[in-house]
Amino acid sequence: MGDGVNREEYIVQMKQISKVYSNGVAANQGVDFNLKKGEIHALMGENGAGKSTLMKMLFGMEQPTSGEIVINGETTVLSSPSVAISKGIGMVHQHFMLVPSLSVAENVVLGMVPKKGIFIDKEKAIEITRENAEKYNLHVEPEMRVADIPVGMKQKVEILKALVRGAKILILDEPTAVLTAQETEELFRELTTLKKEGYTVVFISHKLNEIKEITDRLTIMRNGRSMGVYETKDVSKEDISRLMVGRDVVLNVQKDPAKPTETVLKVRDLEYVNEWNKKMLNKVSFDVRKGEILGIAGVEGNGQKELIDMLFNLNVPDAGTAEVNGRSIIGLPQAKIREMGVSLVPEDRMLYGIAGTASIEENVISDRCAKKELNNGPLFKMSEIHKLSEQLVKDYTVLCKSPAQQVGMLSGGNIQKVVVAREFSNDPALILADQPTRGIDVGATEFIRKKLVELSRSGVAVLLVSADLAEVMELSDSLIVMHNGRIVAYFRDAETLTDEEMGEYMLGLKEQTPEEIRRVCHD
Amino acid sequence: MTRKREIIFSIVRGAMAIMIALLVAMLLIFISADGDSFGEKLSVTAEAMKQLLVGPIFRINATGIKFEGKRLADVFAAMIPTIFTGLSVCVMFAANQFNLGSEGGIMLGAFISAIVAIYMPLPRGLHALVCILAGGLVTGLVMLIPAILKVKLNVSEMVCSLMLNYIIMYIIKYLMNTSYADKSKGQIQTYPFLNSSKLPALSQAPIFTSSKLSWGIVIAVIAVVVMGFFMYRSRWGYQIRMIGINQDFAKYSGMKVGFVIVLSQIIGGFLAGAGGGIEMLGRYPSFSWSALPGYGWTGITVAILAGNNPWFVPLAAFFLAYLGKGCDMMATYANVPTQLIAIVQGVIFLFFAAESFLSRYRQSLVVKTAKEEIAAKMASSEEGGKKDE
Repeated sequence: MGDGVNREEYIVQMKQISKVYSNGVAANQGVDFNLKKGEIHALMGENGAGKSTLMKMLFGMEQPTSGEIVINGETTVLSSPSVAISKGIGMVHQHFMLVPSLSVAENVVLGMVPKKGIFIDKEKAIEITRENAEKYNLHVEPEMRVADIPVGMKQKVEILKALVRGAKILILDEPTAVLTAQETEELFRELTTLKKEGYTVVFISHKLNEIKEITDRLTIMRNGRSMGVYETKDVSKEDISRLMVGRDVVLNVQKDPAKPTETVLKVRDLEYVNEWNKKMLNKVSFDVRKGEILGIAGVEGNGQKELIDMLFNLNVPDAGTAEVNGRSIIGLPQAKIREMGVSLVPEDRMLYGIAGTASIEENVISDRCAKKELNNGPLFKMSEIHKLSEQLVKDYTVLCKSPAQQVGMLSGGNIQKVVVAREFSNDPALILADQPTRGIDVGATEFIRKKLVELSRSGVAVLLVSADLAEVMELSDSLIVMHNGRIVAYFRDAETLTDEEMGEYMLGLKEQTPEEIRRVCHD
Repeated sequence: MTRKREIIFSIVRGAMAIMIALLVAMLLIFISADGDSFGEKLSVTAEAMKQLLVGPIFRINATGIKFEGKRLADVFAAMIPTIFTGLSVCVMFAANQFNLGSEGGIMLGAFISAIVAIYMPLPRGLHALVCILAGGLVTGLVMLIPAILKVKLNVSEMVCSLMLNYIIMYIIKYLMNTSYADKSKGQIQTYPFLNSSKLPALSQAPIFTSSKLSWGIVIAVIAVVVMGFFMYRSRWGYQIRMIGINQDFAKYSGMKVGFVIVLSQIIGGFLAGAGGGIEMLGRYPSFSWSALPGYGWTGITVAILAGNNPWFVPLAAFFLAYLGKGCDMMATYANVPTQLIAIVQGVIFLFFAAESFLSRYRQSLVVKTAKEEIAAKMASSEEGGKKDE
């Protein structure tokens, strides 16, 4: 009998959902997810845990590879967002989908424009917007251009857009990531109002305080799997953090104790404020020494990306210094930085790591195409290039038919091996490895981790940034934890740490004293 | 997708585009054909299509079809300027720079070469070389305008180069009307080129004896080879291509992105300009172009047909020249308006440029390849997979 009641109770049930992307990444594996009418439900998990994929499937943007979606007791195929909208599902994306040059009202009615003859009835559009804004208590300025309104209001426009289209279930993808504290508070008030009126809200986030404050239930995801559904009042922040960032598989990487020698990378007081006026780096200082792996742990978005960007001149800091072997690298062209022996395994491998439609061979020589060994006067020494690429494909076990194959057609793991092959083989003094094994298969992951350890033991300085706790704890000799753009903890010996302790630092529940943190600068 | 499948796809796609274009052409010819009955129209259409398809190099008469060297030579001659503009566009488009300056470039190169050919007496052979180089270099330098504006100020190179074409044209027209005008002639033109500057006709080859095909075609072929090696066998061409595929990747890899972008446009300008000089000295007694010649636009079609690959430029240029000649033949012998070529070209261009034309077929090939790869992977990692469980 209880079963029958449950079925009535849920307005959305996603059963055993799996999703394999065309590049072979399994983003969801047998996930169960359900929503009760009139609740605010948190979907938690680190980046890459599969939250967005799951919600994209609920919004019809992606199709599940297997599994079933039941809405209001009816099995439904959500073949596109418009189908999802017709079923009363609306989504507010993290990056707003608004037309900046149009007015708020025009954005709200986009796709369902009131007309007067062949012209848009602007009056009517403004009226619709105003009415709905009042009804839902979402304050917006219908006549202003979207480009001119603050971020908080843009978000309200997005929510209004969904509501005007008849959404009863609202999916908000990290809605507070771009908001100030006051705006967040306002949003929460609005969401509570909506809840009282019977709307259901899915709230994607990894901010514990917010979750505790506003949600009724929560689903935690890790590595594409659901870690369970909980009543928010029944779980502590510590429990949540453990479920979110705990490790699944213990991959054993054999590692001798590090014998660090002189400092290679010396970073002092780096500061950076991003375009939304958020302080992404706040007085970040640390050293990486020859022969050691320094790990940076932290939930993504706490300044790690910005830090790496500064160290490879993909962005410029507002203040602070960074030196490699005593020479400043801030503002140097990438060619110079590479000449000094710095390699980068970029976080976004499709953006920076590869030229997708070029061959594997063309991708592994990109950093050394002007080198003497590969050139004979004005022409390439093709035989040398073939030899090099064949060797790298072999050494790094890239699964391909030949080095002439298009790199974009390889699986994620093999693409990453191509990137790593290039970055590890140019005789580096310092390797910046930013999420080196994100979203790739176990085999490739293990291979890349082993290589990193091997290189560090042969005297390379390695800075490892990873949101994967298991990875950063197993590989690193020493660890720093970043939260809100600051280093909040330094552990000289990464092996003594427990997941729980790490989780608390990563989510900002605990912090070391400045003196303890300062030890990472080996002056 | 495997390289083999990629190539098969390109060929099928190209052939389909051409077939559809020819069908459209046939339909249009049929509609515009003279004749009272369906049968009559059909026979006119058949005649026209015959001229279009075989007319460019064969003479068709009652006794049969006979190869004609002169017609082939005309086709080759028509290829010379479009090979150069095609190469020019290839280099710039490969760097993802949509510079449309080849059109003004070829006119500028032709004009500069003409001036050198008229006013700077030099020994035979050397004179032509200096003319062509001057045309190429000046045009290459002029291309610095869109290139540097793009790199330094992020001005759209497309808009800038497009406008530049007209600036070049009007300046040349002004100069032709004033300082460099040969006032003794009824038409607006410059003084005749000195004999020492002219590119000789390629009359040694037996089949071309009676033709006016110049040595320009040989230079064009050399240019193709040089550019083929440049783009696929040199570090600069490599960098141009990588920047074209993914500029962020190129920057991260340590390439001098701004410099290479400028370089690609200088080279593009040089090729267009040199092509203009070669066309001028090989075909004309004096400079009399009073409008943009259109070779630059054709060059864009050539480059797109060739997939920005210099090695395929002669093929694409031949195809377009053949089509052009075929249309001339149709106009002469089958009474079909010559404007039709523009439509045929347009249709082919449309299908080539349409990214998703036959995309389902492509997707099916991709899926097939992926399935094979997954199967291969499963087979090879069966053991390891079990361990993970």
